[in-house]
Amino acid sequence: MMQWLGLYFPDLPLDVFWSGETDTPLAVTRRRKGRDIIDRCNVSARQQGIRPGMPLNAALALYPGLHLHERDAKGEQQRLEAIAAWAWNYSSRISFDPLLLLLEVGGSAKLFGGIDILLERLCTDTRAPVAVEYHALAPSPGAAALLARLRPGCRVGATRELREALGDIPLAQLTRDARLLNLMQGIGLSSLGDALDLPRPELARRVGQEALRLLDRLLGRAPDPRPLWQPPARFHQSLLLLAEIGQAPALQFPARCLVEALCAFLHSRDAAVQQLHWRFLHRDAPPSQLDQGMLTPSNQAGHLLELFRQHLENLQLPEAVVEMELRVDAWQAADKIHGDLFAPARHEDQGFLERLRARLGEDSVRGLQGRPDHRPEKRWRYRDPLPAREDTPCREVFSPGETGVPLWLLPRPRRLRQRNGQPWHEGCLQLRAFSRRIETGWWDGEDVARDYYRARNPAGQELWVYRDRRSGHWYLQGVFE
Amino acid sequence: MLQLFYIGSLSDAWVIFPKMSAEAKKSIDNLLLQGLLWRGGSAPALTGRPVLPSGFASLDESIGGGWPRGALVELLSEGPGLSLLLPALAAMSREARWLAWVNAPWLPYAPALAARGVDVSRVLLIRGRDGRQSLWAAEQALRSGNCAAVMFWPQHISTARARRLQLAAEEGDCLGVLFRSRKLVRQSSMAALRLEVQPSGEKLEVHVLKRPAGWGGRRLLL
Repeated sequence: MMQWLGLYFPDLPLDVFWSGETDTPLAVTRRRKGRDIIDRCNVSARQQGIRPGMPLNAALALYPGLHLHERDAKGEQQRLEAIAAWAWNYSSRISFDPLLLLLEVGGSAKLFGGIDILLERLCTDTRAPVAVEYHALAPSPGAAALLARLRPGCRVGATRELREALGDIPLAQLTRDARLLNLMQGIGLSSLGDALDLPRPELARRVGQEALRLLDRLLGRAPDPRPLWQPPARFHQSLLLLAEIGQAPALQFPARCLVEALCAFLHSRDAAVQQLHWRFLHRDAPPSQLDQGMLTPSNQAGHLLELFRQHLENLQLPEAVVEMELRVDAWQAADKIHGDLFAPARHEDQGFLERLRARLGEDSVRGLQGRPDHRPEKRWRYRDPLPAREDTPCREVFSPGETGVPLWLLPRPRRLRQRNGQPWHEGCLQLRAFSRRIETGWWDGEDVARDYYRARNPAGQELWVYRDRRSGHWYLQGVFE
Repeated sequence: MLQLFYIGSLSDAWVIFPKMSAEAKKSIDNLLLQGLLWRGGSAPALTGRPVLPSGFASLDESIGGGWPRGALVELLSEGPGLSLLLPALAAMSREARWLAWVNAPWLPYAPALAARGVDVSRVLLIRGRDGRQSLWAAEQALRSGNCAAVMFWPQHISTARARRLQLAAEEGDCLGVLFRSRKLVRQSSMAALRLEVQPSGEKLEVHVLKRPAGWGGRRLLL
């Protein structure tokens, strides 16, 4: 049997706006009959006497500092989808109603060992992006939605009990069709119970088939097909900042909302991410970007946030941030990242390298590797320090007796001045020994012909220099010690 | 209140303070045991603190058995110094930990390291954008426990900061080496071991300025 769980989130229109301090009076508005009215407001606004339904002007007269936003339908839908991503843990059949999520749990309840356990787990799930306070269970999606909104906590197991549960719900909840509603109210019906008490042919004759069809759907007597939500192919969410943020480090606070939504999204897929793309929108300046890469995939909000915090150290904001976005394009199965039993130390190792890289930048934390090449500047290269353990030791590249080479290399050979035909580096260089001749590289277009010498400058420094045999120029390439 | 003077040899203490209370004796014993009492002369390492043979017998003898692990070493030099560490680095590169180079003046040349037995795959090159970042990175590396050795070429470092590095080295059981200018020879320092290094012909002249549990002052040619 179908069992629908309705989850109602009345505060969603407020939640989509992140206010710096939660005690800022905040309200969202909508238009009704050409006027802006207060749609919802938070507790602080209520304490100032502001109530839903109040005209905007009246609210502002009560509290001029009220933070106001128009309802953001797009943001609400995004938010609802984020919740759906989490709810995906409990049911694979999810559909939306305004501010409502409908989960078919009749099927999945068995997996959890009964509907009671499922409900309990769902309501106490700490990974939930928002608290689940309003919920109701009913055999039809329409009834579950109605009850979650108007009779939270209500549980109706069987179709025959539905009639009673819905009885005193105002008729206006059945439809938004004003003509039909007028018609029904015109014959003296005010609640759903009134309509259900009338014999069916009688009702059909007096107000039309449409009313019957609606009631049948509500009671689960007629199918009520709804488009089922499909998990999105990628994660993309944004958050409007109510209080603009001028200091990069302060972005970590609103980031939590987005990261938690992302983690809910990932957990529902048993997935983990390695690359996060952040975008920070400003009023005038073009958006700032931040790419947060990780050495290994993660789906832990704490870990992702910690690294984000490190990245913020390097973020320069041209202007205050008014909105932020988090996008993830690719993820991978999370089970692959747990299986590394044989290298327990590696996780720590990664954490350490990650921390360094997040703060200093990827190019500032590197490993070394040898390469088979005769040109000293190509004899080595940087490598990503991470996959160290799997690497075959790069000692193999080195012949055992590579002696007579300096301990230090200049990143790039430095051309030396000459005086009286002698190379000069902090004084005239005294060439002490011929080191080697290198002629190579004709195949890659960077061919060289060099004679290397060991030289000493007046300060006593031992240097590795070479003369380019084509140009005759001298270069400094290494330092002995 | 017991005041401690420098005592030529510790056994003399009982001569100097014959009437010292049993309690005072016990507290001196305690200080000795914990290695908190610094003894001059050529007293052997009291603390049992692990050392890492430097690969140079005469150096080991002068610095109390080898490079101290979990401590900070200062090499004061206008260039050379790294070669003193190479045998120890080679030994440490066989551990599964990193050899971190923070703000090295140039690039360590991989074939030269390999020729001296250092496993190049353990080399981790770290560069901070400014002095503050480099200090932070050095401290992280020392403390992490993921590095066997951290070599750091600081621009400038305050005593307080050096103290933090010393603590981080202890915590991470890591050999921390600060490469600093010889101009700082006269400055006091937090480091457990301080060596002044300068080239002397083909060799290196090493002057032990300070060492754990012993007097400095020795000069040797390596």
